[in-house]
Amino acid sequence: MAEAITLEVTRYHPERDEEPSLQSDEVPLRKEWVVLDALNYVKDKVDGTLSFRWSCRMGICGSCGMMVNGAPKLTCATFLSDYAPGPVRIAPLDNFPVIRDLVVDISDFLIKLSRAKPWLIRKREKPLSEGEYLQTADELDTYKQFSMCINCMLCYAACPVYGLDPLFSGPAAIALAQRYNLDSRDEGSNQRLDILSHSDGIWGCTFVGECTEVCPKNVDPAGAIQQYKLTATKEWMKSFLMPWGGGE
Amino acid sequence: MAEYETHEHDVLVIGAGGAGLRAAIEASAAGVSVGLVCKSLLGKAHTVMAEGGIAAALANVDERDNWKVHFSDTMRGGQYVNNWRMAQLHAQEAPARVHELEAWGAVFDRTPDGRILQRNFGGHKYPRLAHVGDRTGLELIRTLQDHGIHLGMEVYMECTVVKLLKDGDRIAGAFAYYRDRGRFVIFKAKAVVLATGGIGKAYKITSNSWEYTGDGHTLAYDAGADLQDMEFLQFHPTGMIWPTSVQGILVTEGVRGEGGILVNNKGEQFMYKDIPDLYKNQTAKDPEEGWRYCQGDRNAQRPAELLTRDHVARCIRREVNEGRGSPHGGVFLDISWIKSKIPNAPEHIKRKLPSMYHQFKELGDIDITKEAMEVGPTTHYIMGGVKVDAESQMSRVPGLFACGECAVGINGANRLGGNSLSDLIVFGKRAGEFAAKYAKDKGAPALHNDQVEEAARWTLAPFERAGGTEGPYQIQYDLQNMMQDLVGIVRREDEMLRALEGLGKLRRRAQEAKVAGNREYNPGWHTALDLHNLLTVSEAIARSALVRKESRGGHFRDDFPAKADKFAKVNLVVRKGPDGQMQLEEVPIPEMPEELKQIIKEMG
Repeated sequence: MAEAITLEVTRYHPERDEEPSLQSDEVPLRKEWVVLDALNYVKDKVDGTLSFRWSCRMGICGSCGMMVNGAPKLTCATFLSDYAPGPVRIAPLDNFPVIRDLVVDISDFLIKLSRAKPWLIRKREKPLSEGEYLQTADELDTYKQFSMCINCMLCYAACPVYGLDPLFSGPAAIALAQRYNLDSRDEGSNQRLDILSHSDGIWGCTFVGECTEVCPKNVDPAGAIQQYKLTATKEWMKSFLMPWGGGE
Repeated sequence: MAEYETHEHDVLVIGAGGAGLRAAIEASAAGVSVGLVCKSLLGKAHTVMAEGGIAAALANVDERDNWKVHFSDTMRGGQYVNNWRMAQLHAQEAPARVHELEAWGAVFDRTPDGRILQRNFGGHKYPRLAHVGDRTGLELIRTLQDHGIHLGMEVYMECTVVKLLKDGDRIAGAFAYYRDRGRFVIFKAKAVVLATGGIGKAYKITSNSWEYTGDGHTLAYDAGADLQDMEFLQFHPTGMIWPTSVQGILVTEGVRGEGGILVNNKGEQFMYKDIPDLYKNQTAKDPEEGWRYCQGDRNAQRPAELLTRDHVARCIRREVNEGRGSPHGGVFLDISWIKSKIPNAPEHIKRKLPSMYHQFKELGDIDITKEAMEVGPTTHYIMGGVKVDAESQMSRVPGLFACGECAVGINGANRLGGNSLSDLIVFGKRAGEFAAKYAKDKGAPALHNDQVEEAARWTLAPFERAGGTEGPYQIQYDLQNMMQDLVGIVRREDEMLRALEGLGKLRRRAQEAKVAGNREYNPGWHTALDLHNLLTVSEAIARSALVRKESRGGHFRDDFPAKADKFAKVNLVVRKGPDGQMQLEEVPIPEMPEELKQIIKEMG
């Protein structure tokens, strides 16, 4: 092969290995290859037991998040040539238990997700025959960015608070709660305070914004968290007085 | 049997894309116990990649739209071999399903008065696709996932079903393995809903990812259900062709809906050279009229770029074959040209097609607001699938239901863009509703130990083959190349006969393929098991395509380039014969009721 780059991949089999080890493989360095192509090359041509997740190859399913040279990345949207001459080090996402090699256990996130109550909460649900809830383009713009999340977990891997305090709901779940709170069709923000009440994590989160830095969809979870702190303070006070938020 | 992990549910849903999630939600809401099995992580299924929108005659943008027009468009797009009852139910129920999704929180782009915005798409007479930018599939699956997770259904992730279990004629459950540890798991269920999507991985160039290996099609076939219309395969006209590592990835039809044009290397807008008779009076006479249509001029007709996918794919192939292609063997799709028509075109493009902008920027280093994309046909969707009852979605196997891409009916010979997402929610709901009803009406089936042991033996066979040296990847690779070359976008009898012979050889190789290592997260083993599914659907496609001696929709025969009356009246059905061989039957299409005929006539 004309040009090559060394891939250093973390291998780990928790039931068998005391600790993770590094496996080095030479892969072709092609201009159009992303890191995921290199991993698939290793799996198909060198070592069929290498385990990692991927699906869509177009940055929308959020399956292929890994640490690339220490930073959380979607490997289908990260060019290999950006790391030339190498080596490129690939590790599983930080802050999650490893199932095998580059595959991590994200079940904790799914629990946190449902805590955000990610659906419209209405005082009165109208029948389908009445059609949609109206929403202007401006109203849509207030939360649209927060709805772009693809659950790729990069923000959890980057989050220093989640790393220290696993009870913290974390950036994507809070951004999702805030996405619904800001949605003009929703009337349930005072029922979503639960997302924050499981730890003091949110108050430890500063506006450093590692989560926003690494988000491949520009969701800006850090911005959502800062907004949420304000909303939460207000809602807590209101919820003492009126369970439905004072008839707004 | 005690040695295997066993779960019992009233309804087991296999597949967690839009159709499976919608079915699981409906069954859960009906109060029965639901298990949802998926091959990858929840929320990552192929629905997430759908871009353009959900077709539903909401009439928010053009008040002339209604279910009758949608029905008529769907039948015309399918060249009238659709299941007309399913096409009717789909058109009638899609608006309520979209409103329901909206009420659960789905984000949609909006009209100035705050209603759901709808966009133009190929084959739809009026702007009909409810959408949010070009990431509608993500929004749909996310909404269903978030809505579903609090309904109490059990989700089994990264779990692959290899065999359905039966009690006499009726369904009794499924045998599966967890992909991570390779452990076996048995699901006992009164009803099973298949929602496994497509078969794209039988082809070399495809928009589909590794999961789409015809699992549901094959599970149903092996369990005694019928597969119908398997010759009708949709090659989406615009897949990325460069760089090669992203070859086949979809470029949404929404690009053309927003005014994007298809151009050959001579700079000609070649789609205007060949407009089928069926669409003559619905198509713009020149590019100028086409652009006016995209801008909302109600007196203008659709641009030729928005003809149906089967036709556009063949026109692209013709341009390439006749030497008018782009440098990497496709044609040019250009949206940047609209800068000569509207101010702030780059911002407009980024707002309307944000994912496309990023996809080309990130994967191909191309700025679509400044330059044209290179595109070519990619295997995208199979119209054929498990034959089901139109109302209930139940197959001929009692208790076995199917919905979404793995079921057959609404699309006929060619699916219109946007009719897939609506299909998922309309028939996903119906499958869930009727599966729950079936489960409530019936007692528990019995599991039979011999079937379970047979399934376990079959699943472990790849490890135990003596003498085999070949691994499964090479066989899959050879299959993909062969199907691409011999049963692809343009077909001929001699080539398909060669393909059938080749399939026999590949099957023998697959039966000898050996897998190294153990059962723990072993992708080679998974591929060895998937081969059975890929080979089964490939054979169904080739056999059906050989018998349909005409060209219609997604099935084009070089040796029979015209439509034939004889085949306008039949669907082709394959099933597993008593000897284990594939049997094919020509089944007459039931006569359409007078009132539906009338609708089609009125819509011209």
